[in-house]
Amino acid sequence: MSLELKEVSFRIGRELILDRVSLKLAAGRSLVVLGNSGAGKSKLLEVIAGLARNQEGRIVFKNRELTGQSTQERGIGFVFQDYALFPHMTARDNILFGLNARKASAAEKNKWLNAVTAELRIDHLLERFPAELSGGQQQRVALARSMVLRPEVLLLDEPLSALDAASRERLALLIKRIQKKYSVTMLYVTHDHNEARFMGDQVMVLDAGKVVQMGCPDAIFSRPGSRFVAHFTATRNILPGRIVKRDDNAGALLEFAGGSLRSLSFPEAKVEVWICLRPEHLVLVADQSGESELSVNRGEECVFANRLTGYRITQFIPQGGVTVLVELEKAGSRLMVFTASRKVEQGELVVGSEVELTVAADRVHCLPRQADDIYCQPYIS
Amino acid sequence: MKIYNFSALVTVVVLAAGLFFGSPFVALLKSFTLAEGFSALMNRQVLTVVITSLFTALAATGLAAVVGTVLGYYFTFHKNGGSRWLKTFFSLPLVLPPSAAGYMLLLAFGRYGLIGGPLYQTFSVQIMFTASALVLAQFFVVTPLMIQAASSAFQQVPGSLVKASHSLGAGEFTTFIKVLLPLSRPVLLAGAITAFARAIGEFGATMMVAGRLKTIPIMIYVKAMGGDAGVADGLSLLLVLLSFTVLMLVNIIGERRG
Repeated sequence: MSLELKEVSFRIGRELILDRVSLKLAAGRSLVVLGNSGAGKSKLLEVIAGLARNQEGRIVFKNRELTGQSTQERGIGFVFQDYALFPHMTARDNILFGLNARKASAAEKNKWLNAVTAELRIDHLLERFPAELSGGQQQRVALARSMVLRPEVLLLDEPLSALDAASRERLALLIKRIQKKYSVTMLYVTHDHNEARFMGDQVMVLDAGKVVQMGCPDAIFSRPGSRFVAHFTATRNILPGRIVKRDDNAGALLEFAGGSLRSLSFPEAKVEVWICLRPEHLVLVADQSGESELSVNRGEECVFANRLTGYRITQFIPQGGVTVLVELEKAGSRLMVFTASRKVEQGELVVGSEVELTVAADRVHCLPRQADDIYCQPYIS
Repeated sequence: MKIYNFSALVTVVVLAAGLFFGSPFVALLKSFTLAEGFSALMNRQVLTVVITSLFTALAATGLAAVVGTVLGYYFTFHKNGGSRWLKTFFSLPLVLPPSAAGYMLLLAFGRYGLIGGPLYQTFSVQIMFTASALVLAQFFVVTPLMIQAASSAFQQVPGSLVKASHSLGAGEFTTFIKVLLPLSRPVLLAGAITAFARAIGEFGATMMVAGRLKTIPIMIYVKAMGGDAGVADGLSLLLVLLSFTVLMLVNIIGERRG
């Protein structure tokens, strides 16, 4: 029992917006569609909801063929990026719009209106017009408007992108809670990798209308399948290197400008590789005493911990809150590492000081590198 | 060109335009005398003409509002290869000489016309040279204005609202009635008011199909040519005041919307 897309393509004129997109999502689970602007994310949702018609391929939900059905017949909930609340109606009328369109009884309307508005804590806002609500409140009303119809599939098109950071966090938690509580099959579109990691049971990366990678968040973020995915999921450290030795038990030994590393995730045939190191997987060790752990526990297994020495701190980039991004350099090789801002405030880490880093071998991911690939330095955001 | 030279040029153009556009109004006010104009307007024949004009213009506007809104909806939401041609076709009366429009209506709805002929032969119904013909001529001329207003109104409604309505289970008709019409009301109203002003002032096409019937513009023409300045002045001033009021209303609606 799942939502299934089979080779779905969509064109506007001659332009191919979606190119043979296939996916399978178990009922009650959530999938985050991650991609740049213009990647086809929103159009994918519109095609699933039936708002964009004449696509190629098939859409099936719980063995029900949706492909030829109208938007009304599909009964899929849709939450828009700009809320799309009807400005001439109060929050109550907005929420009841779908039930009125379906000619629901007064009792049913009251029952679901009360249940959903209490759940979303908007029962005190019902008589207000959208212009009298904050962005977060408007998005709650928009969510309520979809949820009163008890959709089995809910599509959310960048629902948090127009909100401030605090409202974004609150609403993200709320959406996740509601999705789990009502076991809604959810497709959630975003271009924010943090949101993607938090919201989805699965993540699908879309580029130019094509699925470039799909899997659980950990797989996508720790083992990106391409340099595009690595870059897009903020891997930040994508370094040119080469495999110098392969060993079935201990993985591959890599060399790069900053030293050597062991990796458990590497291509079979390639010698030239991109070494992907996520900044949160690198651990800073301030002193050079050499007492850092040589292995990391992963459940019952122990994984070899790589040590990188001789890096100097070049700058700190505050990330807001308790973390700081540290830029390090050694012989032209730059690395980005997250660490606690407390360490900077307390003077444990200072610009110019030499530090040691550790990274577990299963956190070092390699991608095949072509001879004409351009090296991109770590970026700051 | 230096800035102050350009400013001087703008001032000269504004003054010249003001003189040109203002002179007919000043001339009308100069020619009009209150007592003469009032007694001329109180004439029974003139009153009948004013009432005929008002009723035919209202009927034509009502028809144009309904048909123009539906066509505006069609051209906004059902774009296809042919809709551009159709839209251009329906806009033709805007640029067509009104006398040509009236002549074509005669050819179509006259007693021996394409539609008028069978109508007369089958049901003994005559359209031309009746009040219906006046309505028809005004409707023909003002409907494009309403189509333009409706198209513009519907285009201004964010597409996500229409999509949201569909995703909530509302069909095209419900979306039209519950979402599009309420959000487009001010622009549609402004379009209808403009259409009414155009309909009541319509001369060329109406003249061709009016027969012995008269509307205000036809009466002005007849009286001005016949040397009866009192009635011509009074009716002209009436149309000027009506047009001014209409434009003010449209502006007020626009400002409120803004």
